[in-house]
Amino acid sequence: MSQSNNDILLAISTPPFWHCGRTIRQNSLHTLLALAPAAALSLIQWGVPAARVMALSMVAAIVTEAVCQILMKQKLSQDNGTAAVTGLALAFLLPASAPWWLTLIAAVCAMGVGRMAFGGYGANQVNAALVGWALVFVSFPIPMDPNAAVLHTSLADPLFRAKFFGGAAAADFPLADLLLGRQLGGLGATQTGALFLGGLYLALRGVIRWEIPCAFLAGTFLVASAFHLADPELYAGPLFHIFSGSTVFAAFFLATEDSCCPHRRLPMTLYGLTGGALVMLIRVFGVYADGAPFAVMLINLLAPMFALIRSHPFGTGPRKAKRTSDNEGRARS
Amino acid sequence: MKQYFQLIKDPRFRLVQNDHRPFIDGPAPRRVRLNREGFAMVPGVKKKTLVSPGTLLAEHPSPDKGDLHSPIYGVITEINARSVFVDAMDPAEAEPGAFPPLPEPADLLRQGLEGEELVSAVKKLGVNTRSLGRRAKTLIVNALNPEPGVRWAEPMLVEHADEIRACLELQRRFRRADEILLAVPTGCSVRFSGIRAVEVEPVYPNSVNELLIKEVTGEEAPPDVAAVGLHNVWSLGRVALTGLPLTETVITIGTASNWANFVVKNGSLVGELLEFLHISLQNGDTILRGGPLRGESLDRLDRSITKGAYGFFVVNAGEVPPIEGDSACVNCGACIVACPTRIDPRMLSRYAEFGKYNMSRKENFRLCVDCGLCGYVCIARRPVLQYIRLAVKRLEEEERLAGLTPLEPVGKA
Repeated sequence: MSQSNNDILLAISTPPFWHCGRTIRQNSLHTLLALAPAAALSLIQWGVPAARVMALSMVAAIVTEAVCQILMKQKLSQDNGTAAVTGLALAFLLPASAPWWLTLIAAVCAMGVGRMAFGGYGANQVNAALVGWALVFVSFPIPMDPNAAVLHTSLADPLFRAKFFGGAAAADFPLADLLLGRQLGGLGATQTGALFLGGLYLALRGVIRWEIPCAFLAGTFLVASAFHLADPELYAGPLFHIFSGSTVFAAFFLATEDSCCPHRRLPMTLYGLTGGALVMLIRVFGVYADGAPFAVMLINLLAPMFALIRSHPFGTGPRKAKRTSDNEGRARS
Repeated sequence: MKQYFQLIKDPRFRLVQNDHRPFIDGPAPRRVRLNREGFAMVPGVKKKTLVSPGTLLAEHPSPDKGDLHSPIYGVITEINARSVFVDAMDPAEAEPGAFPPLPEPADLLRQGLEGEELVSAVKKLGVNTRSLGRRAKTLIVNALNPEPGVRWAEPMLVEHADEIRACLELQRRFRRADEILLAVPTGCSVRFSGIRAVEVEPVYPNSVNELLIKEVTGEEAPPDVAAVGLHNVWSLGRVALTGLPLTETVITIGTASNWANFVVKNGSLVGELLEFLHISLQNGDTILRGGPLRGESLDRLDRSITKGAYGFFVVNAGEVPPIEGDSACVNCGACIVACPTRIDPRMLSRYAEFGKYNMSRKENFRLCVDCGLCGYVCIARRPVLQYIRLAVKRLEEEERLAGLTPLEPVGKA
């Protein structure tokens, strides 16, 4: 036995030699798994057109990443699955009726401008899928508007109704319908119930940090409640706002993109709360019916500011800072 | 529910396993390799010299580093800049009187030496007193397992209580610390008379000295408090009980599926240990000395268990995701969340990666306690801890050089 030991080639490595086992690829696979129920429900609801948009978006994202990496002389990294996740997240925001060229432009811009221009996965400051979405949303408003573009459907856009017919119109949409995705909007982002479960799975797995979605939804809930209490006729209730449009999708899947959010607890909470509040402010005062994607882009840009909030490193705080540490403890508990 | 949301949910990070296994004596070595870096060889000790267990081989110039003794009967086969090799010989086969006489046991407890005299007596018996004899108001004996995977601390508190008691007595006689505390894992009922015990939650990284001090005192980096590991305490206790020079060390040997605690001779070759345990390796396996989070990987099987080593582990190929070249940081922030000292390993590792060591100063690189959690959680498999160590090393070197006075050219008119 020792003879064989003498012939073997040992691997030299650096500490730590144990690892949590979590890798970029695993995180991507978990994210795809979490998105799967929403994708399945979306396929049941929209059929082949949805499948077409999702497949095209994912393929275009992967190919764009590969082409950019070849041009930038980087190692190809399609096997880590991050491009597929971005492609799918982008497809979830597009209407099922999106024509092929629209999907293609969105996906190419998401990967090219949104991610690779910054250097690759993890270097972008704003969620890549949102960059692609925002570009086509602003440039081609008609094909991007589900109310105008999706014709063969009896579903209505709850946010559109709430914005232009007042909060009372929200009563047309029972919560169960919203949760099961019986609403008009992005093809996958409106499957709020399935996305909520998927997001919960990711948080339990530790792939995303629970503070961000919690704070995001809390922010939406608080501001929506404030408006609703001020004038129930004009403004819909908090649960309506959370489960309509892409709020849940933004909270669990968009705002949590690791490179675009702060990582300490208090900054994450503030980041989420700001995002949730912005969703409501854009929905109420903005020109767009659904404010969630834009809210996420705005807080992505604010993330470095939030990240400046940090406690004193170990043992360097001022000696009298008894109260600071108390506050910290409270923020953590 | 709590553990589901946590980044680190590895049960191995719990430092108490409630699985008591007796200490096993290691194999009688056929060959030992002793580290002699920094030591000065004793005159007369050279190649082909016969040595007995306890024969003094080399002395360390520092007053708090223990001297080097031979652990076995044997013959010195090689002395190079870093190591001394001793091949084992059977004393019965050699002619009588060929081997130097065994050293006389020195009963430190009875002799009644105190203070500096005792420190120098202990040094002569091969025990490092740098941390044991730390001058501090409070000295905390860290009775937690130093790292996940290392498991001798728990049984040692029970089985080797005599050693620990003897060491605590000697430590008191050093007269360097005003108070000595014993930090034990929560729920552990072991107590020593005259020593106040403090219970500490036995979860890594609480066993890292800096963090242990925080757990015990409730204060981060309080002045005048120091900690010393149980491994070192055991060494001194062993010497106090036997009166002979220190030639053994306690280690946990662990693989993915099994583990055991051993008392092995200093300088035992890892190849012989693996053979003794019938552990066969595969290509691509990693063997490491020290703990799984802070240790060092060995390149060859004729490396040895050095005096301070507290573990020896085998990590099989494929057990952890491989490190693939120089992967870039993806800003996931896991290291920031995991870091117990609240510094930013993400930026520190990047500064070191691109050679911007000066930037590390802003990020409090000195506060790193070397726990290794940043690398443990890194999803990009970057050697984060190694990057930080590199920066620390570089900056210390830079500061050392800056402290030197440049030589003036001589004889320049």
